[in-house]
Amino acid sequence: MSTQTASKPAPMPATPVRTRKPIDWWRWAGRGILAFLLIFTALPMAWMVITSLKTQLAALQYPPQWWPEEVTFENYLRLLSPNNAIGHEFLQYFWNSLYVSILSTVLGVVVAVPAAYAFSRFRFPGRQALFFSVLLRNMFPAVVFLMPLFLMMKWLGLVNTHGSLILTYLTFGLPLSIWLLKGFYDNIPPQLEQAARIDGATRFQAFFHIVMPLSSPGIIATAIYAFIMAWNEYVYALTFLNSKEMLTLPVGLQRFFAEYATDWPGLMAASFIMSVPVVVLFLVLQKYFVRALTEGAVKS
Amino acid sequence: MTIDVAHQGGAVPASSRRRRPGLLRRIVQNRNDYAYIAPALIVMALVIAYPIYYTVELSFFKTPANLAMDQKIFVGLDNYWTILTSKSFRDVTYNTLIWTIFSTFFAYVLGLGAALALNREFVGRGVLRAVLLVPYVISAVAASYVWKWLYHSDFGVIGALSVQFGFTDRPINFLDNIYTALPAIIVVNIWKEFSFAMIMLLAGLQTVPDQLLRAAQVDGANAWQRFWHVTMPHLKGVSMVTILLLVVTNLNSFIIPWIMTGGGPAGATDIWITQIYQLAFGRIRFGLASAYSVILFIVMMLLGYFYVKALTRGDEAKSE
Repeated sequence: MSTQTASKPAPMPATPVRTRKPIDWWRWAGRGILAFLLIFTALPMAWMVITSLKTQLAALQYPPQWWPEEVTFENYLRLLSPNNAIGHEFLQYFWNSLYVSILSTVLGVVVAVPAAYAFSRFRFPGRQALFFSVLLRNMFPAVVFLMPLFLMMKWLGLVNTHGSLILTYLTFGLPLSIWLLKGFYDNIPPQLEQAARIDGATRFQAFFHIVMPLSSPGIIATAIYAFIMAWNEYVYALTFLNSKEMLTLPVGLQRFFAEYATDWPGLMAASFIMSVPVVVLFLVLQKYFVRALTEGAVKS
Repeated sequence: MTIDVAHQGGAVPASSRRRRPGLLRRIVQNRNDYAYIAPALIVMALVIAYPIYYTVELSFFKTPANLAMDQKIFVGLDNYWTILTSKSFRDVTYNTLIWTIFSTFFAYVLGLGAALALNREFVGRGVLRAVLLVPYVISAVAASYVWKWLYHSDFGVIGALSVQFGFTDRPINFLDNIYTALPAIIVVNIWKEFSFAMIMLLAGLQTVPDQLLRAAQVDGANAWQRFWHVTMPHLKGVSMVTILLLVVTNLNSFIIPWIMTGGGPAGATDIWITQIYQLAFGRIRFGLASAYSVILFIVMMLLGYFYVKALTRGDEAKSE
């Protein structure tokens, strides 16, 4: 309605309208795309939340209740209270996921920081070849590593331990961290360290006191990215873990689903809780995350 | 950028004046540098290089079901022959291609549309971008279950909506129908990853100079011409990287098909990765699965070659 009334008086002035009109058309096309994508993105998530607020009986109705007739937080309370069996199990998975993700992230970043710095600054022979091999890792599917790593874990006696996951998550965490961090170090002017070196600092001191503090946003971004990937990892956890109390959330969810086969509201509540930490991390640190994602791929 | 160039410019004449000493000499001279990468190299040798080597080795052997690898039998290229001549290989490859091509195409196109539409200031832009990115960050496992529920044959909201709007008179059983199962999970995959393309292209759009767009407008180029002749050429590099990354991700995807359909019904959604996993950990045929992995690996190497080339284009230009 408003657009029509707005465009009515437009033909009066002669020239500026002709240039503005086609732009408006494009702008509306853009709005249309965004509206479609917003619905496409948000509806499944909204339905997850709506379903999680229903009782089991209300969820299994046809046609569905578009809004639950009685809103219940029963599903969440059951998952989050350590006193009942389901809640106890779920919280155990949650804790396992947190523990494995944090440890593998820390380990990956600690090993990646000096390596990325060396790749960014030093000119030792083999640097290019080694860095390319880091990049090439991104090409290999997890399954290529899965069988040998499974045999290796069996041999090390690490099958069904969290150690196996912390170690194997480095297969994607470490190359990714090196790649991202190198991008950040490339953006820190080497003159700063050179100045410190002239003032008598050793190369390591210059690195530790000058470069490290400057690159902390990069390290945070890299750590978030590695954490989210570890938190969401499924294939290794599915393969290496088999006892119930060791499972991480992604595989635990499947177990939960298999056991309580028809409990869709419960499953939706569990999916929601599982998504909360990564979404919160992402929203709070969105700027860093986006930078980590696009770092290196976009060159001016 | 300018700092970097200045730094490089200073370094190049210095090294060419010295006329590079022997390789061994240079390694010894730089020995302290290796200390920085040593931990990373050791870890990577253990969890990346060795597994690659071992996969290739296993692909030439028939492995026992109890996984006692000292009893494996050398069979040469038999595993490869078995795979390449099997009928399932053809079907699975076909599914893999459909899955990869359609997922990549739509994720890229939707991502590009979203990036272009978001590339101007308006109220709520930041919020909208964040919401669109949520599917990309949440767990694929959670996403798969949510969509499985949306597609549910009796109580799924998609089936109910399509009846409500009169498209069908009965809810469709999307995931159990061999014609709709693959498209249905491709939609989920697009939902999950289009915002990755969006964020990459949005970053790429920042490199399009405003003056150039304005100059084109002054010269009478219409919106489409400005997009095609000014914006797109600037997005070429980032588009290549994005598409390659999407292709690689899609060729490697496991979670969505595995959880939503498990490769079924009747193998209609079986792709390479699910097939390999099934061979390795369902039927415990490590040798055969390794050979399958090596085939996939060769495809990846070819793609990887282009990927590294696209990514390092800027570096090469600088050092020349």
